[in-house]
Amino acid sequence: MKRLNILVGALSIPLFVVAWEVIARSGIVNAVLFPPPSVVAVAVLEWVRSGQFFLDLGASLYRVVTGFVVGAALGIALGVLTGQFALVSSLLSPLFHILRPIPPIAFVPIVILWFGLSETGKLFLVVWGVFFTVWLSTHIGVQKVDRGLIRAAQMLGTPRRQMLQEIVLLGALPYIVVGLRTAISISFYTLVAAELAGAFAGIVYRIEIAQQNLQTGQVMGGLAALGLMSFVADRLFAAVAERTVWWR
Amino acid sequence: MARTIISVADLSIVFDTPQGQVIAVDRVTFSVAHGEFVCIVGPSGCGKSTVLNTIAGLETPYSGAVIVDGKPMQRPRPDVGMVFQQPHLFPWKSVRKNIAHGPRMLGKSRSEARAIADGLIEMIGLNRFADAYPHTLSGGMQQRVAIARALANQPRVLLMDEPFGALDAQTRSVMQDSLLELRDRIDATVVFVTHDIDEAILLADRVLIMSAGPGRILRDLGVDLPRPRSNAIMLDPAYLALKKDCLDLIRSEGRRAFDQSSAG
Ligand SMILES: Nc1ncnc2c1ncn2[C@@H]1O[C@H](COP(=O)(O)OP(=O)(O)OP(=O)(O)O)[C@@H](O)[C@H]1O
Ligand SMILES: [Mg+2]
Repeated sequence: MKRLNILVGALSIPLFVVAWEVIARSGIVNAVLFPPPSVVAVAVLEWVRSGQFFLDLGASLYRVVTGFVVGAALGIALGVLTGQFALVSSLLSPLFHILRPIPPIAFVPIVILWFGLSETGKLFLVVWGVFFTVWLSTHIGVQKVDRGLIRAAQMLGTPRRQMLQEIVLLGALPYIVVGLRTAISISFYTLVAAELAGAFAGIVYRIEIAQQNLQTGQVMGGLAALGLMSFVADRLFAAVAERTVWWR
Repeated sequence: MARTIISVADLSIVFDTPQGQVIAVDRVTFSVAHGEFVCIVGPSGCGKSTVLNTIAGLETPYSGAVIVDGKPMQRPRPDVGMVFQQPHLFPWKSVRKNIAHGPRMLGKSRSEARAIADGLIEMIGLNRFADAYPHTLSGGMQQRVAIARALANQPRVLLMDEPFGALDAQTRSVMQDSLLELRDRIDATVVFVTHDIDEAILLADRVLIMSAGPGRILRDLGVDLPRPRSNAIMLDPAYLALKKDCLDLIRSEGRRAFDQSSAG
């Protein structure tokens, strides 16, 4: 039974691809709008061979990685402050709670007004999306740090700074890691919005251009590339997270 | 008599709760001499932990004062160590790093702190577990590490709040014997909270019996049993006589509190 499950699991994607190829070639559907996988593969190969793929990948990766790092750093720093200091929380939390539920994509129009089609605007969107998720999980994590650990650390003469940097931060780390993982998928959503709003390179930008030229194979290749990127990022993070919370 | 190291004078602690103010500790006065081992016993909720936390500097007096080694306690101080009912070990640190934490915070170098930790690990008999993480240790082993960690700063006063309360009976008696042994090797005054009369008489030079809330000190009882002691002493007639005294006192106090609450 278990072996059967594994076998069927291994066949899942190949079966899907073969069915797709057969249906697309059968003439039941419009092959221009719904090209077979072989055509998609050729389009992707051409994309890679022209070198354009690497420029697009680089542009998208740069936006996602930079935006994620900046947003996460800000989220963790402010989350520790609002989680630890009631006064800072009173000042900032109401504001953050009002801004947080607005879908980051809704900021595209105003970001274009503010930053035009520059890289800054795209980074802003990704940072914005990542920040609130990481801030909230850090804030909650800091508040949930075991009071007993803090008291024990106080009794051992831990200075305030060390308390924040070590006890509070590591105590909250399991929560922060969960927030960071959610933020990875958010950074890809916001990347899509940022590149659709207008760009000069990028995976999503390439998808949009291909769509305008009715190169459906290229569109699908772009989608696959985006899915793969997001998948790899999530797996990579899961592997890192396992090591980050090493005491579990 | 040796000089006083802890003096608790007319201490009251009041907590603000949604139901109004609660008097947790009511004008408690006692002192502890240097090198003494004092146990505080009393029913649950009578304010034992609150008294201990105030000596630790974790709680501030509502009125009265706590003076340790000539200085009033206002905040935690490295010369006063504490072991809680739960070990509260840093889960991200190995046994060695947990114990070395205090010395590091007091500015000792990495190697000095490590040497101190290794000495204490030897003393608590956990050499094989020096690099283990807390969650891989049993409850008794974790509490040993917590004791070693508190001792690493060489505190003059060691406070212990039901440190063996969460352990099974067998582990508890092993821990009691090793604490008795340990105690002969360290130069610290100990205040130990428990609600186990046997544990109190076994360990203490003096037992302070507290009444049900608001907590007051009912009796200050000297324990004149020879040392070194071990769990075997619990069959000694002198021990049993002391235990009977305590139980009688607690029973009559319990009845008085019960009558009072049913009358009021
Ligand atoms: N932070 C707090 N806020 C409000 N009330 C408190 C607080 N801490 C303790 N109390 C109250 O003070 C009283 C004494 O509590 P304390 O924890 O000192 O008792 P205890 O003797 O240590 O009890 P136990 O044996 O159960 O540990 C109790 O009535 C408790 O409800
Ligand atoms: Mg208590």
